Amino acid sequence: MLVQIIAQNIRRHRIGGLTASQRRLASARSGRICCRRQGRKVGSLVVLGSLLVLAGCSGPLSTLDAAGRGAERIATLFWWLAASAILIWVAVIGLTVYAVRLRPEPHSQRAAKLLIIGGGVALPTLVLAGYLVYGLSLLPDLLQPAPPGSLRIAVTGEQWWWRVRYLAPDGEAVELANELRLPVGEPVEVLLDSPDVIHSFWIPSLAGKLDMIPGRVNRMALEPTKTGVFQGACAEYCGTAHALMRFYVAVEEKEKFARWLARQKQPAQAAAGPLARRGQELFLANGCGACHAIRGTPAEGVIGPDLTHVGGRLSLGAGILPNEADDFLRWMARTEDLKPGVHMPSFGMLPTQHLRALAAYLDGLE
Amino acid sequence: MKRLLTSIALLPSGLRAAAGEKHLKRRLLRLTKHSALLLVVLGVGGMLLAASGIIPIKASSRHWALTDWFLSFAMQRSVATHSLGIKTPSLHSLDDPSLVLKGAGHYESGCSPCHGSPQLRLPRVPAAMTPPPPYLPPKISHWEPEELFFIVKHGVKFTGMPAWPTRHRDDEVWAMVAFLRALPALDAAAYRKLVNGNLAPSLDVPQYGLPRREDVPEAVTESCGRCHGADGRGRGEGAFPRLAGQRPTYLYAALQAYARGARHSGMMEPVAARLSREEMRALAHYYGNLKEAAHAGSVPDDAAAIERGKAIARRGIPSKGIPSCIDCHGPSATPKNPHYPLLAGQYARYLVLQLELFEKQQRGGSAYAHLMRTTAHRLTQEQMYDVALYYAALPPTAGN
Repeated sequence: MLVQIIAQNIRRHRIGGLTASQRRLASARSGRICCRRQGRKVGSLVVLGSLLVLAGCSGPLSTLDAAGRGAERIATLFWWLAASAILIWVAVIGLTVYAVRLRPEPHSQRAAKLLIIGGGVALPTLVLAGYLVYGLSLLPDLLQPAPPGSLRIAVTGEQWWWRVRYLAPDGEAVELANELRLPVGEPVEVLLDSPDVIHSFWIPSLAGKLDMIPGRVNRMALEPTKTGVFQGACAEYCGTAHALMRFYVAVEEKEKFARWLARQKQPAQAAAGPLARRGQELFLANGCGACHAIRGTPAEGVIGPDLTHVGGRLSLGAGILPNEADDFLRWMARTEDLKPGVHMPSFGMLPTQHLRALAAYLDGLE
Repeated sequence: MKRLLTSIALLPSGLRAAAGEKHLKRRLLRLTKHSALLLVVLGVGGMLLAASGIIPIKASSRHWALTDWFLSFAMQRSVATHSLGIKTPSLHSLDDPSLVLKGAGHYESGCSPCHGSPQLRLPRVPAAMTPPPPYLPPKISHWEPEELFFIVKHGVKFTGMPAWPTRHRDDEVWAMVAFLRALPALDAAAYRKLVNGNLAPSLDVPQYGLPRREDVPEAVTESCGRCHGADGRGRGEGAFPRLAGQRPTYLYAALQAYARGARHSGMMEPVAARLSREEMRALAHYYGNLKEAAHAGSVPDDAAAIERGKAIARRGIPSKGIPSCIDCHGPSATPKNPHYPLLAGQYARYLVLQLELFEKQQRGGSAYAHLMRTTAHRLTQEQMYDVALYYAALPPTAGN
């Protein structure tokens, strides 16, 4: 393709009877001022554009803003690949400019052959082989399981949310949903599975993605290197609400994490205030406990997310809403609008004051 | 040379044929023109005739014998052809007494006003229709069950025979077919017993907490009680749900849903649509406040099924995404939303039917009905039966 374009250009220049340099000179004389102004405009656009593009490199869902061991390796690989791609691009464009503008005359067969064999066969083979070796050499490190005795977390991909269980060494699990909290600097083993369809577990800032496949358990080691709040997403199309299947990951100092985990182990705190108490009654009266568990109450459902400490989570509805009382109300009243395909039915038919009481109760479960 | 000669010899006949063709074409054109003119004249004439108002449309003059024969011939052929694809439930199930009973309840209010019954063979007003609605017992044997189904479901144009009030309830139409098949064998007394049950004696029984006769709403004695019983026990066959002790909020919402067509039933919609809000409220409270001391009907003694049903009702089947039943329907120590029906002591047959209707999205219901949508279609037929049996076997007082 490129060769064709170059050949066409050369031909056109010949027919026109003017060399490229003559032309450039002529056009530059006729509109120097205008070109300079345009050039400045184009320049600022390029700067602005690249800033915007680079802005996409950071943020809570960025592979390049690495905050974990795996993501760091992957980011390094990416930067090396990007650098070589830029080099190759510059070389190809340079050659094109050379062939079209600087020396449009026919070149010797020998030079052309050298270019094709050297640049078309030898160089790609060398570069790609080099990267293959480098890429493969990263794998053992990326796939290395967490050392025995590390914290183990089972994450199950449900339609369309994440069931998270912190597995204690004594076998008792603490269940929560749509959220991970991790101690900084410690390796963690994540066990991934799914009861029905394939999902893919991906926290871009911490590590690569790994499929969650029904009938088997995939293992992934996470080792966060920085504290902060990151996001994860399902990276394999899994059905209607796939795009709304997100979660939050908070990497915390060890002590803070330990306090948080100890709190998660506790049963739910008692409803405070008359509105929240009414909310608790309504929670049981409307049958929410058929699907949701709130430890310490008669609600023991295991179909939907465990809500024991739902009010203390970073998001609602698997990463799609904030976690304020109003968001609880919106979620319950318009579940099927907010997340098409969701298995939870909307409870918009309940009187608003009932929804408000329910929201107050759930928001208070910290 | 020879070829040339033949072609010359053929020339005149070819010319002749061309001339004949031309003539034929002209005749055809004339015929088409005349036919078109005739059609226009007939159409305009017909319109003028209708506009003049001299065509008799009076029912009093009846049809000519020829018209009568032609119309019923066309109707029979249409029914025979259109009922070809209908799958009849096995004849055994059409003989099911509870299906017959269910059809009977609606026949009395929906059909007998025109078609009569063994109690009153020829109601006078519809007898003056053209064509007059036939008295059915001698006619039933002329039709196959699927033909009866087709007529009952879709009605018959130009005769006054309406379609079934909802398109969602083929099960009700089959119940009517079952009753129609039983109808020829009924005398007046048997018919009365089937349609009304023993409405009167079931009242004034103190152990059920029944009110005095004068406290019974008029609608109960006139219509509800025929099927659901004035005692709210649903006549013991599972054809009709037990209403005694049901939550009044649920009953009221159900009546409203029937009245506005949100819950589908060709039997209940017409009845509910006639009720005022006050009457609905009074009925809901009447039935809701009746006490049920004993089981309304006998429950099959299938301990294994009941045990399986109990497990599903209490814990659901989490691996299939089926939630528990008791968290909404009880029995439970905590109070439940009064919009959710109590199921303890309800007929298993009725419960299975409701689950099937939910599964096929044909039940409809109040603003809460969609809660069942995600559940019912995940249950197998056997699981529906097990759960229904568990609830049927519970004492009605286990409600909350």
